[in-house]
Amino acid sequence: MAQLDELIHQPLRLKIMAALHAEPGGEPVEFSRLKAVTQATDGNLGSHLTTLEKAGYVEIAKDFVGKKPRTRVAMTLAGRKAFRRHVDYLREVVEGVSGD
Amino acid sequence: MVISRTEAASALTDIEQTAGRSRVLKSYQIAGPILMVWGVVWAIGYSAMGLLPAERWGMIWLALDVAGAVATVLLSRRPKAAGKAGAGWRIGVGVLAIMAFFVASYAVFQPTTIAPAIVYPGLVTGLVYVGVGIVFMPRFLWIGAAVFAASLIGYFLFQPWLAFWMAAVGGGGLLLGGLWLRRA
Repeated sequence: MAQLDELIHQPLRLKIMAALHAEPGGEPVEFSRLKAVTQATDGNLGSHLTTLEKAGYVEIAKDFVGKKPRTRVAMTLAGRKAFRRHVDYLREVVEGVSGD
Repeated sequence: MVISRTEAASALTDIEQTAGRSRVLKSYQIAGPILMVWGVVWAIGYSAMGLLPAERWGMIWLALDVAGAVATVLLSRRPKAAGKAGAGWRIGVGVLAIMAFFVASYAVFQPTTIAPAIVYPGLVTGLVYVGVGIVFMPRFLWIGAAVFAASLIGYFLFQPWLAFWMAAVGGGGLLLGGLWLRRA
């Protein structure tokens, strides 16, 4: 059933989830690209990613490419389902099925 | 918590814009190395035209174009989707269509001097990139315009050295354009 997800509804978290959901095959996205897509600062993006990770909506993997550290973020199955429910809810509100 | 229709519509717009931006940046990441490959192809091909006799140009360009097309298909496959149908075949068909267009154009118009034949691929490539830029990836608009303008400048101002001009400015421009896309 479609329902509002208050955790996802925060503007930056909504953008993060939208960017991850747009990835074909659920491929992980590098932190730098996520930053470019969401136009957020490092600190703000990191903080909201931690919130989403704690909720089980995203997975964060850190590794090294040569000597360069790399952070990649992927949407979990639970995150994908929650995002779709949230989008369905938004559509229902726009179409006048629920909300005011 | 209940949200208004306006707030919901605004959130949906945000989602669409973010997903669109994500797709464009991903496309730049894939297109960058491909453009760099074609920059090298141009640099080698046009340098060969400046250095070698005309009867060897056809074979050199055939080999370079085949190498470029194969590299394009390989680079446009998504890393984790190897073996799955992706954009690779579409881009490959696109490259073949453009090559067929060049061959057909030369066969129909049969340029009598060499300079128009040298500059023509630059003009068409520039036009194709401008089209890609208008429809899908805005950075291609600038790359296409630069290639188009550089080809015309070479034709009108540097005709005696046109092949080397196209190798350096055209090939180098594509290389730089590829780097610019990759860093997006």
